[in-house]
Amino acid sequence: MTPDLAAPTVYVIDDDASLRAGLADLFDSVSLTTQVFASVQDFLAEPRGDGPACLILDVRMPGQSGTDFHQQMDRLGVHLPVIFITGHGDIAMGVKAIKDGAVDFLTKPFRDQDLLDAVQVALERDRQRLAQAVSNASLLDRWRSLTPGERDVVRLVVRGQLNKQIAAELDVKEITVKVRRAKSMKKMGAASLTDLVRMVDELAPLEN
Amino acid sequence: MASAARTRSNYAVVLAALMFAVAAIFIADTVTDYAVAVAIFHTAVMLVATRFLGVRAVAALATACVILTCLSFILTPSGDYKIGLVNTGISIVAIGVTAYLGLKLKGAEAQVHEARERITRIARLTTLGQLTASIAHEVSQPLAAIATSAGAGRRWLVQPQPNTEKALAAIDRIMLDAERASEILDRVRRLARNEAPASSIFDLNAAVTEIINLSASAVGASGAIIDADLADPLPDAFADRVQVQQVVSNLLLNGLEAVASASRRTPRISVTTRLTDARLRVTVADNGDGLSSEATEHLYDAFWTTKADGFGLGLTICRAIVEANGGRIWTEASPLGGASFSFELPVARDDA
Repeated sequence: MTPDLAAPTVYVIDDDASLRAGLADLFDSVSLTTQVFASVQDFLAEPRGDGPACLILDVRMPGQSGTDFHQQMDRLGVHLPVIFITGHGDIAMGVKAIKDGAVDFLTKPFRDQDLLDAVQVALERDRQRLAQAVSNASLLDRWRSLTPGERDVVRLVVRGQLNKQIAAELDVKEITVKVRRAKSMKKMGAASLTDLVRMVDELAPLEN
Repeated sequence: MASAARTRSNYAVVLAALMFAVAAIFIADTVTDYAVAVAIFHTAVMLVATRFLGVRAVAALATACVILTCLSFILTPSGDYKIGLVNTGISIVAIGVTAYLGLKLKGAEAQVHEARERITRIARLTTLGQLTASIAHEVSQPLAAIATSAGAGRRWLVQPQPNTEKALAAIDRIMLDAERASEILDRVRRLARNEAPASSIFDLNAAVTEIINLSASAVGASGAIIDADLADPLPDAFADRVQVQQVVSNLLLNGLEAVASASRRTPRISVTTRLTDARLRVTVADNGDGLSSEATEHLYDAFWTTKADGFGLGLTICRAIVEANGGRIWTEASPLGGASFSFELPVARDDA
């Protein structure tokens, strides 16, 4: 799974057909791929690519509202950065949306440049998220390539125990600990003990 | 409350009547024996006074009554002096207590009135606030589409290889969205007219009198005098009675606001009904500051207002209602010095 970081997609959910056409054309004019949807249901029904993407979401729509959907996105496994657009937004609504993690909150009619700027910020945020996901996945792969014995050794090593102590605890010879330790460092791609400690720290939340 | 003109009694007439009553009581009290406590009737004067006069006038009148009571005690030629002293004391206390309680009651009434007015205003603002928010939302859709398409079109044209085909498509979308925006505006204009009038035959004078009576508290608070000059007999009208009353009420309240801001004259509003050229005419005129030429020009435009807290929809809706009822509304200078608003309605035909 290597996402193509160069080809971003902008998803638009707005019930206004004319605005959808305008937005698709605007993004086309700056060479961004766009997919437009009239409702949240339509959006969820369509399969999405793996590349960096963001979602432009209308606040008030028939059916499910944009703000409702934003609250449920994590649960539905949609992790896209969101830019809200609304026909009549008040400050309180905007503050809440930003607090809930939206990239921006634009009131219609907005300047096209403001929207394009917000989209760049959102796509950059998604690129970072994807890069992080890739590095997490690779870390997890490397960790899984370790034998159970090697993992036991690593867990004790990062706690600062000496080879002798580890050998005693695991009831193996000290030379075995040394071999497993060297193999683990190599498999994990850790240059130093500090490196290994950092990797194990990052693994902790990923393992479950 | 048989006649609106009678309910809005003239300030000067009341004052004169009270003065006359006070003088009569003074004379009666002086010529009669000490044992006859005529001065106690001053309390009746105080009761009437607190109803119609301001705080200062009531206080002045109470003081005058007390002084006159003392004076008549000195001047009274016959009777038991002791009884006279006690009677005078009782009268003075009664006058004071009546004036005090009357004024307190009046203050409480004013507070109730103020609270009621605030509630009405809030209710009106809320409805109009919702209306404007929904209009703003409707209009923002095509505007957003226009702005976006314009941005796209511009980008297609400024490229090293301008893409005129795409730019033209964007311009076509802009034209369609502009049409859509003006359709929304048309709908807003039709908004007030949408409610089809439920016409019936009704007595115009009775309908107008009801509104004058209903606004009695607003009129009383402003200290304005309403002269109702209702032509009698008047043929029945054929229109939506409630809508016509809405218009009269709106014109009356506008008039009250106009005379309230012009403080140099006694605020005066005249409400007239007439039969002119086989059509019924209602005129509401005031002696406020009148209308500037700019105001006259924009009077009926939606969202145009001279009031700090106004929405500029009152007269727009009035005109829509009158026209929907087959009439017309117009403005001219008032013979009283301010502005005058008139509207005409069809007369109910015998076969209608």
